[in-house]
Amino acid sequence: MPIEISWQHSGRAERRTFDGRGPFRIGRSQNGDVVLDHPQVSRLHVEVTVDGASVRIEDKGSQNGTRIDGRSVTSATWSQGEALQIGPFTLRYGWVAAQVELSRVEPAPAPRAERRTPADEPDNAAAGGGRAQFPGALFEGRTVAMAAIKASGKLAAEIEYLAIGGGCGSFCWVDHLRIYGVSASAIRVLGVAPDKSPYAKWGRLCRVSQIPEHERIRSNSISTPDNIWGFPGYASREFVRDVVHGRMVGFKHILQVFGEPVLTESYTPRLGDVFKSFDVEAKRIGWDQMWVHGQVVSIRKTDDERFVVAYRVPNEFAPGAARADRERFMVARYLQLATGYPASNFLPDLQDFKRAHPDVSAVVNAYEEHDEIYRSLEQKGGTVLIRGRGIVASRVLQRIFEARIKNPNIRVLHLNRSAVTEGAKYDLARRPVRADVQQQPFNWPKACWGGTLRKLLEDSAPEQRSELMKVWGGTTTADRDDWNVIIEQGLRDGWLKSFYGSVQSMNYQNGQVVTRLEGREKFQESVDLVADYVVDCTGLVARLDETPLLADLTRIYDLPRNKVSSGGAPESSLAGLAVTNAFEVAGMQNGRGRVWAAGVVTANGPYAAVDSFLGLQYAALRSVDQLGVLRAPGVSRFGPLRSLGQWLRWCTGRSPS
Amino acid sequence: MTPTLLGRWHTRLILFFFIGLPVTFLYAWYLSAWGLSNEYTLAWPFSEVWLRLPPVELSIFQDPFKFLFALLIVGLILDVGYIQIQRFHWDQDWPFAYQFFFSWVEFFLVFYAMDFGFLDFMFPDGRIPFSTAIWHFTWVFIPSFIGVLALIQIFLVRWRFKGGELGRHPIR
Repeated sequence: MPIEISWQHSGRAERRTFDGRGPFRIGRSQNGDVVLDHPQVSRLHVEVTVDGASVRIEDKGSQNGTRIDGRSVTSATWSQGEALQIGPFTLRYGWVAAQVELSRVEPAPAPRAERRTPADEPDNAAAGGGRAQFPGALFEGRTVAMAAIKASGKLAAEIEYLAIGGGCGSFCWVDHLRIYGVSASAIRVLGVAPDKSPYAKWGRLCRVSQIPEHERIRSNSISTPDNIWGFPGYASREFVRDVVHGRMVGFKHILQVFGEPVLTESYTPRLGDVFKSFDVEAKRIGWDQMWVHGQVVSIRKTDDERFVVAYRVPNEFAPGAARADRERFMVARYLQLATGYPASNFLPDLQDFKRAHPDVSAVVNAYEEHDEIYRSLEQKGGTVLIRGRGIVASRVLQRIFEARIKNPNIRVLHLNRSAVTEGAKYDLARRPVRADVQQQPFNWPKACWGGTLRKLLEDSAPEQRSELMKVWGGTTTADRDDWNVIIEQGLRDGWLKSFYGSVQSMNYQNGQVVTRLEGREKFQESVDLVADYVVDCTGLVARLDETPLLADLTRIYDLPRNKVSSGGAPESSLAGLAVTNAFEVAGMQNGRGRVWAAGVVTANGPYAAVDSFLGLQYAALRSVDQLGVLRAPGVSRFGPLRSLGQWLRWCTGRSPS
Repeated sequence: MTPTLLGRWHTRLILFFFIGLPVTFLYAWYLSAWGLSNEYTLAWPFSEVWLRLPPVELSIFQDPFKFLFALLIVGLILDVGYIQIQRFHWDQDWPFAYQFFFSWVEFFLVFYAMDFGFLDFMFPDGRIPFSTAIWHFTWVFIPSFIGVLALIQIFLVRWRFKGGELGRHPIR
């Protein structure tokens, strides 16, 4: 886990982050890892070594000595919170939170100064160590002069529409723009997926959380990111394909759509089919031609009612180019921010474990790469502790069930904080509970997408929204017959057992992970659960401030954030950017220039289901409709006839324009 | 489907104007010009009837429109009740199966209301026979059901996000 060392230097807070064991050199020498330029500091003063959770320092024969919390030391353990004194400098350290890697490509790491700051340090983000780097002083203020941008020689393009993110959210927006009449040459997409695929990040999360391509995802037939009308949906397409191939099972999908969710299980599409549909539509709208490889660093308003976006082309897409040559600007009138899930932290007790046992891969978050665990289980058997319930826990359980067919020597301990005795209640309905988890077909009640609950949420005040979403959201899974059978079988045959309690600690003993549960009210004894592997399925713990781009934006423009009520699933506790009902980012208007957002960065705002295909389409529809009202170039009002015409073009695979 | 009350009313009116009325016009014309007792009934529309174009009997021509209008009024009233049923669903949704089922409930309600004489003020010249009414409704129901399943959203891209309401979302 990376360590972050911070100190004061001529009134400015400085910090540096180091990954690995070290030793890291501190001294006056410019070649050191931490440079403390003062006569009282020796050239090489101290070396710092990191070993798991323990940090050691060694004085390398300095002239003026080294002190920890006032006592002189030559070789000592430096504990967190203690002050390391070298000459006039006081150094402290903190741990950079271990994070679940959410995307494959994370080039050009954020300026370190804007990462997490230890609680005992003044926040130096305003000083902005990162500002010294690209884009530097140019971006210090709230507005950047176009003349300065042009003079920088880094201006790559000036266009009307720019989508930032390059994922599913960007895709839906660009798809709407193209279908509403905008030509591909007026649009650019900034993203980091190596193959330009809009589903690179989402697809990866699906794969690591154990959804193979033939499996069905928790999404509906009409949630069609490749088709803005929602018709034909995935069910009709699957029906046609099956019937053409003489497979009568096709009728099942149509009957599902007819009867769901009261008479039948809800229809859900296959992951592979969704991937393919993305590919087809991407080709139709010219997605690849609009794509630009780039990691967005910062965004500013320009002095001509537009926005300038500073981005860095990752090394792998500009081989051989010097760093400075990979730093560019793009200027656009209309932006859309859909950067997806911010980096996600592990739960606090998992953080502790990872810090103490950095080399142990037996404890994972379900959104991390962890296929090795199932391979090992299939070969050697073992015990798995699943933490948390919900859709991902159901997937993991299904994967373990499949592993058990190869090796029946696998047992599962299922740990939750407490039992679910009754489902949430809203209006006249109660959410059903089965096998100790609340069930609903999708991650929100269906009416959140386009029905009564969507309307209610939009019309509610921010505080009420937070309360409503707390009731509608939370941890749920889908009512799938195969999953219900797995749980019933597991409990009956004894390879699955449920436990309840809060985790007190996690330790590693004799190659196994010992999870200690706190004693509870009348039963004060603590309980140890011993397992070979721990898979955390409690969700993602995300904060917008973890994303340097958004942290910078909210700080510079004082952007308001959504209110969050405590409780519920971890991922629902994200205070997203405050947006209007049309998903415009409040506070980013720059004359005619506008910024919209979509996806999870707008969590807990006027729309609940932002983190879903249909939700991304809704955000795109609302913002592109607004562009129509603003008479943005190329954007039509998209009335019934144009809609029909474009739909026919979609059906025949012709480009929108 | 996840309709709102206003959305139910709007959608019902779209279906009334764009499917119900045209289909009823054709059916009423067929009934009144070459009515059920007419020798050409079974052959229609493949016979030479198009060439003959006999005069329309106005009283028979009007009946299907009255029946359709009664269906519309009953539907608009029942929509208030349907919304209450939705509140008992956690998803606050209206499955297609319900849409199918209650469409026929509406038909039978109106038909038997007429058959028992409650609508005699609308049908002074006699009530519509069952076979006529059920054929009429079938021809209206099938395209309407396809309409809510697929057709409407092809023309009105915002309809599915507005719980069936017409028009655009307000910008703010």
